Amino acid sequence: MTAEQILFLLTGALILGSALMVVATRKLLHAALWLVAALFGVAILYAILQASFLAVVQVVVYIGAIAILFIFAVMLTRREMRDQGQQTRTNWWIAALLGLLILAGLVFLILAVPGADRLPAALPEGLDTVRALGNALVSPEAYVLPFEVASVLLLAALVGAVYIASVGKKD
Amino acid sequence: MTQSDLITILPLLALVVWACALLLVDLFIPKGRKGWTALLAAAGLALTMGLTLAQAGREASGFGGMLRLDGFSTFLNVLFLGSGLLGVAVAYGYLKRMDLERGEFYSLLLFSITGMMLMAQAADLIVIFLALELLSIPLYVLAAFARPRADSEEAGLKYFLLGAFSTGFVVYGITLVFGATGTTSLAKIVEVLAAGSLGTGSLLLTIGAALILVGFSFKVAAVPFHMWTPDVYQGAPTPVTAFMSVGAKAAGFAALMRIFVMAFPSLSADLTPVLWALAALTMFIGNIIAISQTNIKRMLAYSSIAHAGYILMALVAYGNPAVAADSVASALFYLVAYAVTSFGAWSVVMSLEKPDAKGLEINDFAGLGRRNPLLAAAMTIFMLSFTGMPPTLGLVGKFFLFRTAIEGGFIGLAIIGVLTSLISAYYYLRVVVTMYMREGEPQAEGEYWLTFTTVVTALATVVLQFLPAALFALAAGAVLK
Amino acid sequence: MTFASILEWLIKGFVWVMILLGGFAYLTYYERRALARIQVRIGPNRAGPLGLLQPIADAIKLIFKEELMPARADKLLFFLAPIITLTPALVITAVVPFGPEGLNFPLFGRVITWQIADINVGILYIMSIASIAVYGIVLAGWSSNNKYAMLGGLRSTAQMISYELALGLSFVSVIVLADSTRMIDIVEAQKSMWFMVLQPVGMVIFLIATLAEVNRSPFDMPEAEQELAAGYHSEYGGMKFALLFMAEYDKMIAICIIAATIFFGGYREFWFLQNTWFSVDQTPILGPVYVFIKVFILLFGMIWVRATLPRIRYDRLMAFGWKILLPLSLALVFLTATGILLAQEVNPLFMWGIPVVSLAAGFIAILGMYQTLRRKEHARA
Repeated sequence: MTAEQILFLLTGALILGSALMVVATRKLLHAALWLVAALFGVAILYAILQASFLAVVQVVVYIGAIAILFIFAVMLTRREMRDQGQQTRTNWWIAALLGLLILAGLVFLILAVPGADRLPAALPEGLDTVRALGNALVSPEAYVLPFEVASVLLLAALVGAVYIASVGKKD
Repeated sequence: MTQSDLITILPLLALVVWACALLLVDLFIPKGRKGWTALLAAAGLALTMGLTLAQAGREASGFGGMLRLDGFSTFLNVLFLGSGLLGVAVAYGYLKRMDLERGEFYSLLLFSITGMMLMAQAADLIVIFLALELLSIPLYVLAAFARPRADSEEAGLKYFLLGAFSTGFVVYGITLVFGATGTTSLAKIVEVLAAGSLGTGSLLLTIGAALILVGFSFKVAAVPFHMWTPDVYQGAPTPVTAFMSVGAKAAGFAALMRIFVMAFPSLSADLTPVLWALAALTMFIGNIIAISQTNIKRMLAYSSIAHAGYILMALVAYGNPAVAADSVASALFYLVAYAVTSFGAWSVVMSLEKPDAKGLEINDFAGLGRRNPLLAAAMTIFMLSFTGMPPTLGLVGKFFLFRTAIEGGFIGLAIIGVLTSLISAYYYLRVVVTMYMREGEPQAEGEYWLTFTTVVTALATVVLQFLPAALFALAAGAVLK
Repeated sequence: MTFASILEWLIKGFVWVMILLGGFAYLTYYERRALARIQVRIGPNRAGPLGLLQPIADAIKLIFKEELMPARADKLLFFLAPIITLTPALVITAVVPFGPEGLNFPLFGRVITWQIADINVGILYIMSIASIAVYGIVLAGWSSNNKYAMLGGLRSTAQMISYELALGLSFVSVIVLADSTRMIDIVEAQKSMWFMVLQPVGMVIFLIATLAEVNRSPFDMPEAEQELAAGYHSEYGGMKFALLFMAEYDKMIAICIIAATIFFGGYREFWFLQNTWFSVDQTPILGPVYVFIKVFILLFGMIWVRATLPRIRYDRLMAFGWKILLPLSLALVFLTATGILLAQEVNPLFMWGIPVVSLAAGFIAILGMYQTLRRKEHARA
């Protein structure tokens, strides 16, 4: 086992463990922080795969912006520091069973794909991943269309959000 | 950017630029004169329609094969733009009447139509996903447009949550397909499939395709993924409902056809039993629950679920290669028939709607035959067309559907279709009976554009049935190859 | 990733953290002395010669203070918050180069560089660490179970998120100018001309935004003592308070180092020393010295601002961030990109269009700000 594999397994454990804590913890803010830990684990995965740009963007966008907004919302709305209600429903084990079945199915499927057990090949020496990514995003032969559509989508979402959130005179 | 890229994207580009410009221009249009915004939005749609029609018959592919321009996309784009125009026409007076007049409405509508057009043209799973989001997100907001009215907010929230959920299915399906084939381009997926080197990955592909099917089943409101439909259709402002029931559904089917016809032709055969069950369930449940509805919006919502089932029937028939071309053509034909009829029916509903969601019970239609014969006659036509009775377009549409199903060897499904159509006659005709046989004093709105829409769609429903061959030829010309 | 390289990182990181901790102690001394001078006082001058031992005395005091844990506080988070606050401040400068390539030296068969980590997305790394710096403060505020602390935490979150956008966009202009996201490339791109000259407005935006990011006056609303007692650290005492305090000053040092690196030529010499003995090409050992001098000057600027400017009202702070800085920095990115394109395609002289036009844009922004502030003179608070 190489150092990278050990690192990968540790990261995987971190992500899964934190994701479990997100749903298991009673305190809402702690759940948000566990989510941050899980997202951070994903950033580490990107870094292991040498996708440094994605790793950084993952941190900036998910941890630095989205999770912070979660925490912001929790702080602005929740008076109670902990959730007093029942955490699980009586038939939670059915859901757990289903989840395990799906997991087993996925593992089976992924193992069936040829090359699923390969290690990622090392990037060619001197490849500037950031530049390659940037070129791909603006090249008509590559991803300029999805890129621009995403920007239109965000604009539409922004207009919609402003409309929903704006306080009209009637309110 | 090559010329081919430009030609492929031209109508889309025009509409997006127009929508952004409209956002800015709307700032300078004073409150209470938003009719100008509506007019400008309609002008933008008409311009795009002109561009689309000018491109009719052309075939092009752009952006490395991510976007296609072909008969299929042109046909559907005209349908989307047409429903957008009708949507603006009915919305203008309605928003004014309900005190909802805001310029954002039209911009969001244009953005949503852009998403739909992109959906019809997309030939890459990533673009399909983005198009799905672009058409949905403005619709979520539009469904909640009557906020702070609680039912509208509820509609927006429900639609958003379930929409996000279904998008999750689509994305997960796309990742599995990508994992199996190593590409998101529909054309390349076909190549990979044709090479037949997938091995065990084909299971992954099937599951991915099934998840995509589930995701879009939410969008087209097929049973058992229909739960959101009645609440959302009821709570959303009625013009939005009308637009949603036509545009979003057609866009969902556009994506389904694009993906399953273009990328997984061999897979569609594997999924035929699934589609069969989906179509049968949708027709049954939609029609049966519609019977017990007393609210016209809910009734039409269930009816729209049922009609999704009929269109799914055409996709089932696609599993038989002999009738593959006919099945797509009849689905497209039925989409048009459904769009015209549905818009007409919703416009009549709008004529009778009063502020605060009043006037929406079927009983409120009592006496309409005497008070407003024109409106009642139009509603009768629409109800007959929904049922599939002469002298309407609905009859022709169902005829083509059933014929395709029978020719494809799916006689059982066709029988279910006929049976459920008979069931549907009960609740559709109940509206007609209420209008003519019962006493009441309904107050119908005489707003110009609304009446215009009603009259135009009613005429179209009747007149178009006399040239089914021509229309079907158009649809057949739009079939994907 | 060999054992030796991990060891190298560890040693370099340890040394750098030690430098930052010492730097924190003497920055407080520097600030107190400088502030005192500006206010015509003398400042700490008793402990040791010139008061130089004062920071050590302060440290001893803080370490031996009793620590309090507020009732019904979230104990774990209350304990973790100061650590979470300090960590980003310590690690953010890991990608900054302190010396030119000529200064690298071989040791045990490895080439030791004057940089802890040379990653190809260095400047984006700084951005990402800056974006998670807010957690510590917000958690400190929340876990204290104190309304003032919570308000301070909320204020700082909103403020930092808002100013992060302008900060990120001013990074983008630098990336576009240097055509790289590696810190060494950015410094070397400033060999003939500092980016401060090409991007004067971007530099100003960066400095303003960083002031807000580290909650320094005039943007120190999160700890405005008149309104919020001491803001997010109201409930903290002893060593935990010292950590929060340390984080604040280490952040100051860090952003001054970053500003020096991306706008003021980093370890490169001053422009008038080019091609002399004092240039880092001829005397590489001067590189770290230049960084130190630049940081020293920039730190004085921050202290000066604190001594001079009053605190800005909170709604205006947000309006300034969203309505002035964000559009202006967006415009700057566009201007910079256009200028570079024209310089490449038409005439290199168009490069000078960038500072000229951006100064004009900055002027328009100031005019707009003046107008809105004037109009809001009688606005309700």
